[in-house]
Amino acid sequence: MDGHAGGPVMTGTSSLAAPRSVAELADIVRDARAAVQRLRVVAGGTWSDAGTPASRIRADATPVSLRELRGVVAYVPGDLTLTVRAGTTLAELDAICAEHNQWCTLTPWGGNHGTVGATFATATNGPLARALGRPRDIALGLEFVDGLATTVRGGGRVVKNVAGFDLTRLLVGSFGALGVITEVTVRLRARPAVDRTWIVACEPGAAADIRRGAITPLAVEPLSAASAAALNAEVGALLVRFAGNAALVSAAERMLRALGSLTECEASAWSLVRETNAPVRSIEQDALALPLARRIKERFDPAAILNPGVLGESA
Amino acid sequence: MDSNTRILADRLANIVGPRHVKTGASELLVYENDGLPGYHKRPRLFVAPGNREEAIAVVQALAAANAPWVARGAGTGLSGGSLADGVVMIGMQRMRRILAIDPEARSATVEPGVVNVSLTKAATPFGLHYAPDPSSQAACTIGGNVAENAGGPHCLKYGVTLNHVLAATVVLPDGELLELRTPDADAVGFDLLGAFVGSEGCFGLAVDITVRLTPNPERICTMLADFTTVDGAADAVSTIIAAGIVPAALELVDAGTIAAVEASIYAAGYPTDAAACLLVEVDGPAAGLDDDVAEITRHCTAAGARSVKTATDAAARAKLWQGRKKAFGAMGRVAPTLAVQDAVVPRTRLAPVLREVARIAEKHGIRVCNVFHAGDGNLHPNIPYNGHDSAEAARVHAACDEIMAACIAEGGSITGEHGVGLDKLPYMEDLFTPDSLDAMCRLRDAWDPARRANPGKVVPVHRCREWMATPAARS
Repeated sequence: MDGHAGGPVMTGTSSLAAPRSVAELADIVRDARAAVQRLRVVAGGTWSDAGTPASRIRADATPVSLRELRGVVAYVPGDLTLTVRAGTTLAELDAICAEHNQWCTLTPWGGNHGTVGATFATATNGPLARALGRPRDIALGLEFVDGLATTVRGGGRVVKNVAGFDLTRLLVGSFGALGVITEVTVRLRARPAVDRTWIVACEPGAAADIRRGAITPLAVEPLSAASAAALNAEVGALLVRFAGNAALVSAAERMLRALGSLTECEASAWSLVRETNAPVRSIEQDALALPLARRIKERFDPAAILNPGVLGESA
Repeated sequence: MDSNTRILADRLANIVGPRHVKTGASELLVYENDGLPGYHKRPRLFVAPGNREEAIAVVQALAAANAPWVARGAGTGLSGGSLADGVVMIGMQRMRRILAIDPEARSATVEPGVVNVSLTKAATPFGLHYAPDPSSQAACTIGGNVAENAGGPHCLKYGVTLNHVLAATVVLPDGELLELRTPDADAVGFDLLGAFVGSEGCFGLAVDITVRLTPNPERICTMLADFTTVDGAADAVSTIIAAGIVPAALELVDAGTIAAVEASIYAAGYPTDAAACLLVEVDGPAAGLDDDVAEITRHCTAAGARSVKTATDAAARAKLWQGRKKAFGAMGRVAPTLAVQDAVVPRTRLAPVLREVARIAEKHGIRVCNVFHAGDGNLHPNIPYNGHDSAEAARVHAACDEIMAACIAEGGSITGEHGVGLDKLPYMEDLFTPDSLDAMCRLRDAWDPARRANPGKVVPVHRCREWMATPAARS
């Protein structure tokens, strides 16, 4: 990656470091390790809300922001793969893919404000996860700076790859405790020819039937009170999405009609539902209680400087 | 046999019964090879546990004796991953019970020695199947599939083994037992199961595995499109995928493969004057499937296909598939040895890479038959040769080196589904930086600090810094 003139951008009173290159980030981690200065990885800042694991990170950790590490590294639309820097927001990612009638199906709960890096680091799912894959299924490869300040690449940029031990799966969902993700290569999909969404007024139990029906839905979500209010619908009604060619989606619509009354809505309804449903994580457990997990942490962050406390360990 | 091996054999025989421990040279001969030609590695001894408790006890006994080991499923691996050079081999073929099928949850729990296709057969009465379908599925085991993160033609739509493993009970090389499961979306913790799948037997031994079962599609349609140029076939692959159609499978067979297949008992009716054929399968609900077939046909024709044949009934479809699935067997008629290569390139680079592979083959005076998962860009340049002719074997080796270099140069990978094992070790340093290889070593060290499981595979040992730097670890 090209270096920029000058050092990391320092702003605010909390001496927030915002490295402009992976090399600068590695320098920060190297210095932090030497000084046993703990670091808190931030990007969009959407994970710093109370009630999330981020709230457990030790208060004395210095924030390091990835917001300067953004933008596309490589995108060949014909390959349906895209390599993007971690500080890129999901909204930016969507816009980039939309130009080629493609999309990245991460679409996590909480909306599009967060960054690519944070979504993979926290393995945050969304309503499309069941049909189109979770973050661990979408990441093809990634780059990260570990707690030893080494820059590591796992996986690759092709859609199928078993070369080497799977550092990609290791980092996805590791909450920044093993390394700071700096770049991710994602699998994209071509936008389906037809993509329709309905509010279905039916028994809540119908969700399971729809999911297991002959035509697999893209998403089925019972509306929470907040989502229902935003969509002007009944609480517990289902938001259902089918995509594919016209004949397939018409058949799905006929099937839905048999379950209850339908109100068709724009695909943007899903943005509303995602924004009104932030991901909730259980935060009681200590993910490092398992000896294997502890050994992994020791080998990737021996000084325990990366997001200390985020895994529920007593720092 | 040295006295330590005798003592170890006796200890293992106490666990599994003397019939299931082999120490004699002639008994071990069969375990010297897997599907990778050109290698013969004799295990120190062979032990076959019959159930989960025995498997755990065997690993614990080997830990107590600090004896390295390698697990082996059916020995169909193509990268040498299960070759055991002077170390203990744990054979999993006796552990072939399907422990549970849950049609409601669409999952099955199996012992690792269950043969891939046996699981699908057992799931058939419930309208389900196990989706990952390596070409060796009639012989290979689920345990081996998990170790290698195996693929197969239908992984284009349904995903590779990683995407189908829900849980596994794993005994770590130090004897500790772990229950791994796919991470809960609500919880926080490392994806240990994700790291374990594809770890090529270096992280531990799975003693039971829970996998997802997939509903059988309502309708399946298989197409054969024939092209007068390989470029045309490769272009059709890209346009089909770019159009948003996700075929269940999208395979390319080239003229060399067609010639071998059509001359064999597996003749599938592929046109022998074609430069390449695409085998395209779409499946799913009946609604809309014909439209997908029509669109794929249009894309193939636009890319220069002479004809597109469509088969919907089971017999006609099976015949079209036969040439693809039995291509490796058909190549046995061409030469006594077959190197089944495996690499991945970005889909849009298929045509130039295939031209480069042909150039490399010509330069070295060898024959390459391409039959591969084109939809994934997952190449299988297969090289029939005479392994007893050392000059020819050397030329094949040189050609493989150049093919790998060409794939890496295009931004690809050295293996898409066969694993690194022994065969691809030398290329790991061309694909990954020393820092990345060291990180992989650190991950392995966390699972197996004593480096007892499948030693010497996947990452070149000299790339592991901590290992090199710690004298105590070498003993």
